[in-house]
Amino acid sequence: MIHLVDIVLSLVLLSILLSFGSSRLPVLIRVIGFQGVVVSSVPLFMGHDLSAFGIAFSLATLSIRGIIIPLSIYLAIKKVAIRQEVEPIYGHHASMLAWLGLIVAAAFISGKFNLPAINNHPLLMPTAIALLAGGMFLLMGHRNAIAMVLGYIMMENGIYLVGTTFSTSTRHIVEFGILLDVLAGVMIMAVILQNIKQQFDDVDTSLLRTLKE
Amino acid sequence: MIVSVILWFLAILLAPFFAAVILKVKAFFGGKKGPPLLIHYYTMIKLFQKGSVYSTSSTFIFKLGPVVSLCTAAMALMFLPVAGYRPLLSFHGDVIFILYLLGLGRFFTIAAAMDTASPFEGMGAAREAYFSIICEATFFMILILFFKLTGSLSLADYLSGSGPLGLWQTAGSPLLFVIIAFFIVLLSENSRVPVDDPATHLELTMIHEVMVLDHSGPDFGFIELGAYCKLFFYSAIVSRLLAPLNPGNPVLTGCLFIAALLVVYAAVGVTESVMARYKMDKVPKFILTSFVLAFFATVITLEFLK
Repeated sequence: MIHLVDIVLSLVLLSILLSFGSSRLPVLIRVIGFQGVVVSSVPLFMGHDLSAFGIAFSLATLSIRGIIIPLSIYLAIKKVAIRQEVEPIYGHHASMLAWLGLIVAAAFISGKFNLPAINNHPLLMPTAIALLAGGMFLLMGHRNAIAMVLGYIMMENGIYLVGTTFSTSTRHIVEFGILLDVLAGVMIMAVILQNIKQQFDDVDTSLLRTLKE
Repeated sequence: MIVSVILWFLAILLAPFFAAVILKVKAFFGGKKGPPLLIHYYTMIKLFQKGSVYSTSSTFIFKLGPVVSLCTAAMALMFLPVAGYRPLLSFHGDVIFILYLLGLGRFFTIAAAMDTASPFEGMGAAREAYFSIICEATFFMILILFFKLTGSLSLADYLSGSGPLGLWQTAGSPLLFVIIAFFIVLLSENSRVPVDDPATHLELTMIHEVMVLDHSGPDFGFIELGAYCKLFFYSAIVSRLLAPLNPGNPVLTGCLFIAALLVVYAAVGVTESVMARYKMDKVPKFILTSFVLAFFATVITLEFLK
């Protein structure tokens, strides 16, 4: 039977498709923000640990993932006024095909895991794997540094899903670790972005190859 | 049986009326009064009173095109379970038959367009052929999903009786993606915005409209009626998937069906009002999205059924 969790997870899968298909940075950021909101609301729908502390914690994660990080990236691109078009090195059709392959492969692999803890949520494992691989795909496919940051965030979303899946009791520790990771990562990347932008007037990472000692 | 015949006639009769609903919705968004709801009947009567003009260079194929396209659309309606009633015809595998029936109609429209030997119409024909290929992929993906869910290959089993209810129970949210995918197929197969603009007269952007430029009088009336029937066919499927209700009472069932149909037609109208026509190179991407959605729905449904 279909649970609410599975509907939410299919929205996550759909957001991966949207992130592959979009060619403008603001759209991409919005998609990743939406993904963050949806991913961090999964524990609420799963019904694990619905104490006041658990809910407050999930809401805090939701606001950081869904609002604060995307908003700060959005403000950053507004501030440095970079080009809003991102050209992935793959075409639109190729990325659609990659997405389909990704979903099929993720569904196939997760069938092999056969974990008793998540057997009543058949979509959880495929979504987590698809998020990890999808984030990798975004990282590989873009030369624009901000799109790469977004790919990194997508991977972290996947790790978060895996974390909540495997550790229902030690969830908070996993979440804290990941959140710190993401925040630190985004901050460092913001600083680096600023530097790349100052140096080259663009955030295309392929320009870094021209650097010499 | 009698009911099925009556419903079939009603479907053909009412198809132009529903198509006018789209015009009304568009007029509402434009802040205009819009044409009357019976506008297509008036146009049809006007067209049938005229005579036809045939170019001396065209052959019988040109005259055959409109008739075949109307006939195939009307025949496709015979397989459609209107308001959940048994259709006129139904057999195992009829969905594939319907698909190629509509394909036959399209083939003759294209052949008639090529027959005029106008390069301009050939361009429209090439576009029509290309876009419908991608639509076919979507259609088959949806068929595979429905076959997996119901174990049947007939449109009547999907849409009448407890069919769509059953689909919702086993597939749930993936079916929503199927409906969106089917809606995209509806838009592109019936040459609506954002794939094609039925109201455009800018020559280089037309797809369907350009193929029928040389038809006049009753022939053009046949083409129009065929197009309305085809639109009705697709909209009825979408509306039936959207609202698979069977209250038992015939009047109530009919009203619910018409209400759901009006919602689908209004959705087409709203899409046309709020969106611009896509650039030609963006259209295949748009249609491909529908295929991806259908594929996605299939994969996650298989995951649930495991």
